[in-house]
Amino acid sequence: MAVSDLFVAFCFLLGGAAAFFTAFHPNILYAAISLIGSLVAVAGLYGALGADFLAAAQLIIYVGGILIVILFAVMMSEDIYKRRFFEGAKKYFLPALAAAITFAGLVKITLSADWSGATKPDFEPTSRAMGWALVGPYALVFQYVVVVLLSGLIGAVIIARPALKMKKIDEDLERLGED
Amino acid sequence: MAGLATYLPAYLIFALLLFSFGLIAALARRSAIGIFMGVELMLNGAALNFVAFQALRKGVIANDSWLHGHIFSLFIIVLAAIEAAVALAIVLRVFGSRQTIDADRADQLRG
Repeated sequence: MAVSDLFVAFCFLLGGAAAFFTAFHPNILYAAISLIGSLVAVAGLYGALGADFLAAAQLIIYVGGILIVILFAVMMSEDIYKRRFFEGAKKYFLPALAAAITFAGLVKITLSADWSGATKPDFEPTSRAMGWALVGPYALVFQYVVVVLLSGLIGAVIIARPALKMKKIDEDLERLGED
Repeated sequence: MAGLATYLPAYLIFALLLFSFGLIAALARRSAIGIFMGVELMLNGAALNFVAFQALRKGVIANDSWLHGHIFSLFIIVLAAIEAAVALAIVLRVFGSRQTIDADRADQLRG
């Protein structure tokens, strides 16, 4: 058994176990921390599949950025230490049933397909090819993503800042009308 | 287990596992941030699929020197970052107005 097989199996185990705790752990703080395991496992799988740039981006953006945001938001959850495992097991029944049906059906479809044409991943650096693709066939999509990112960030700032006094808005509108 | 690293269905089923756990978290958690973590898990599962197909199905994808799968996953990561920013803003706003981020209690628009 090759080292890469062992590494991929380790990533599968880490990611699966961490995803289980993310879904089922009653303490939202521990769920957020085990989400790190899933994201790191996916980054490892990106590396195993020869996507070096994406593995780095996953670590920097997800593990470094989004998780900080999540851990910050976890502080606003109330009494996170009081809940016990499967205390609200009833609440999980229907979602778990829906997810199990989805999982079983899609696994059946996946295994019934013919994957015999699979090739080995190659390990050339991908950043050069991705850079050319972003200014070549994907230039327009890239611009769209830039616009969405900008408008999303502006929208986030506007949503998050404290509510303005309605009086001040009215005054501003009146002053605009006079000009 | 030899050849696991080049066995495409293993990646697909793992991605499906992430998606299913994410679905459970998104549907069952009451805290808004728990729902958000479930959505992140689902996005990760989908992005992993793109990369697995790109790496292990060479020659099947048209023009695969452009790394279509990697570009798609990169866009997914960037959009997830935007989503995180907007989600945090909404969570802050909801917390500011009702001192909780329990999604079941933000029911002002319920008919």
